[in-house]
Amino acid sequence: MDAPDGNLLTGEPFIEPTYVPSRLPSVYNPLHTFELPKGTERHYQQQFADMYFLRLAQLRDAVIRRAEEAWADFKLGDERAQMVDRVLDVRQGQLCWVVGTVYMEMGLKPNVLDDIAKEHWIAAPPARETYMSGTAKDEMMLEDESGRLRVTGESLNQHYVTGCVLAALGTEQADGTFQVIATQHADLPRQPQRYERDDSSLAVAQKPRLKREKAGKLAIVSGLGITGRDDQEIWLDLLSEYLTGEATGNPDQTNAAQISRLIIAGDSMLQSGPILSREEFLAKKSGKKHYGYDAGDYNALPTDRFDTFLTDLLPAIPITLLPGAADPANVALPQQPLHPALFPHSRAYANPPAESTETIEGLDSVTNPWEGDIDGWRVLATGGQTIDDLLKYVDKVNVMDVMESMLRWRSVAPTAPDTLWCYPFQDDDPLLVKDCPHIYIAGNQKRFQKRVIKGPVDQQVLLLAVPKFREKKVIVVVDMESMDVEIVKFRMRRPAKVAKAS
Amino acid sequence: MPPKRRTSGITPKAQQSTLAFHGTSNKVTKSGARAQNAKKNLTDHSITKKSKPDVFDVDTVDEAEPTTAEAAIIEQTKQAVVAQKTISTPEENEARAVSDARIEKYWRKKEKEGRKTPRVHQQDLSLQEKILREFDMCGQFGPCTGIARLKRWKRAHRLELNPPIEVLAVLLKEQEGKDKISVQRSHVDELLNARNMELDIGA
Repeated sequence: MDAPDGNLLTGEPFIEPTYVPSRLPSVYNPLHTFELPKGTERHYQQQFADMYFLRLAQLRDAVIRRAEEAWADFKLGDERAQMVDRVLDVRQGQLCWVVGTVYMEMGLKPNVLDDIAKEHWIAAPPARETYMSGTAKDEMMLEDESGRLRVTGESLNQHYVTGCVLAALGTEQADGTFQVIATQHADLPRQPQRYERDDSSLAVAQKPRLKREKAGKLAIVSGLGITGRDDQEIWLDLLSEYLTGEATGNPDQTNAAQISRLIIAGDSMLQSGPILSREEFLAKKSGKKHYGYDAGDYNALPTDRFDTFLTDLLPAIPITLLPGAADPANVALPQQPLHPALFPHSRAYANPPAESTETIEGLDSVTNPWEGDIDGWRVLATGGQTIDDLLKYVDKVNVMDVMESMLRWRSVAPTAPDTLWCYPFQDDDPLLVKDCPHIYIAGNQKRFQKRVIKGPVDQQVLLLAVPKFREKKVIVVVDMESMDVEIVKFRMRRPAKVAKAS
Repeated sequence: MPPKRRTSGITPKAQQSTLAFHGTSNKVTKSGARAQNAKKNLTDHSITKKSKPDVFDVDTVDEAEPTTAEAAIIEQTKQAVVAQKTISTPEENEARAVSDARIEKYWRKKEKEGRKTPRVHQQDLSLQEKILREFDMCGQFGPCTGIARLKRWKRAHRLELNPPIEVLAVLLKEQEGKDKISVQRSHVDELLNARNMELDIGA
């Protein structure tokens, strides 16, 4: 079969009959943790102080327990460490520990005064790569309901961001700052067993436990960045052929058939929203004036092309679709599911939102961040905005370290609402990690990385950073039985040169 | 072609509730200042009233329409009233059993403990209002603005912060009275979100 010039039309015919593998089913049980109430039930008049209060109130007990375990017999000289209730109750010279939320005062954080300056001057200040100004203006403070306490110390070489709840051990200095010797965070919460939710719902309905089949694989792709123009047609075609099992031959097709679900983790469409960026708006302003709605504003190419892409995949493989920063969903976290009205063809494979909020087999449009059970394992997936924002607070830190810290602080988005736009939660903060996931996925990262972290009570989490498909042409495939991770790269190769006939 | 403009008649009132950035309800300048826009009648949107059930009537101070901040408190109170009609949670049952004498004892303890002097400027407040204001000012139950008092108590109870049961008793008793909305809204909230606030800028 292998012709020297790569031409499949010459050579021996195929001997085996065509082999059509069938796809394993995917056991899917999504959670609706991040869904906001719709319409007039969503209120925005509450302040964000409620969110910080909820975060501190819910994590305080866990942090206090861990700190007591760690520092129960800590002695500096003759003095024992004591817990102090309020952040402002620390006394000079007394060794004590206190629980509070971190607040980082950074020089280059977005400032409302810059927004006002934008109105008066023509050009907006450029988007910031990092918030650290590197000067003394970067300060760390510990805050609770009573007030704020400025914090210093060498152990602060570890990286902290606004919004993580910590216990800090130290003493107050003469100038009022709190010198920290050690810190303690809440660490990983309880991890559910595999199939725990499915089994418990069966038990409640008093049905016998099912014997679970061997699970397939989970494919994750992010950053498709579809613009609708022809520059990436070949990559999308290669991807859809691979996932539907049409590409190559036998061994690859069997591998592809084991993929039982696809997660698209954000940024699927580029330049697809009708809201123009500031530069585009300024360019338009100098052009012709249109009264009323200008139909030329909306570019339907990205959504059309993405819709076609989904329809190619959909009958064959169930898809979970998360919105990303560039997608036409709301800007503030938690981003609500992409509306099926955007996908006129593939919405045939999705349950309409009026009937049900989830689609088990088919296109499930979900929130960003998203939590759910796939093949029994708890999966937490984000589109990557939380991690990108956190990286702006720290310098030269690995993405895996960031993801590990976010889980250990039990916070999906610690920097919300400070520098990351967020809905003002009043009753319950869903951005806290209450059950430790088995797999934590962050989309739209620079390159592929994976790590397995362990918790204090035998928790094990697989951290995955998925690169942008538009740049790297890579998808990540996780084996749901053994938790092995492999990547599938798509490459173009020119055929070998044909020998000249002499 | 650009859309046809209305040349006669007033613009119809919007069906949705709108924010009023102009008009009498958001006036910051003193009433002596000249009105900026002459076309007041064309641009005078008013916030439509939220539909309220027959159970209670809203007694707000002067205007008939609530601001957005008030509207949220009204919505929360409505939901609380509906919830109370359906089921009564155990803490509510316990609160209804609290007697007036116990509430007074609670307040006397609060006045004595930890305070060197009695509270001032509270002569014309009822005991219930004093207790509720003290509950508002407790920082450990979260901020008191933007949330109805009953909802704040329930949230504190759910987070296991042990809010005093006497406060719930006072709230439930006040709810049976006439003025349901103003008792649910903390005084600080009213001050911060007040309309028609005359700012005395001085000469």
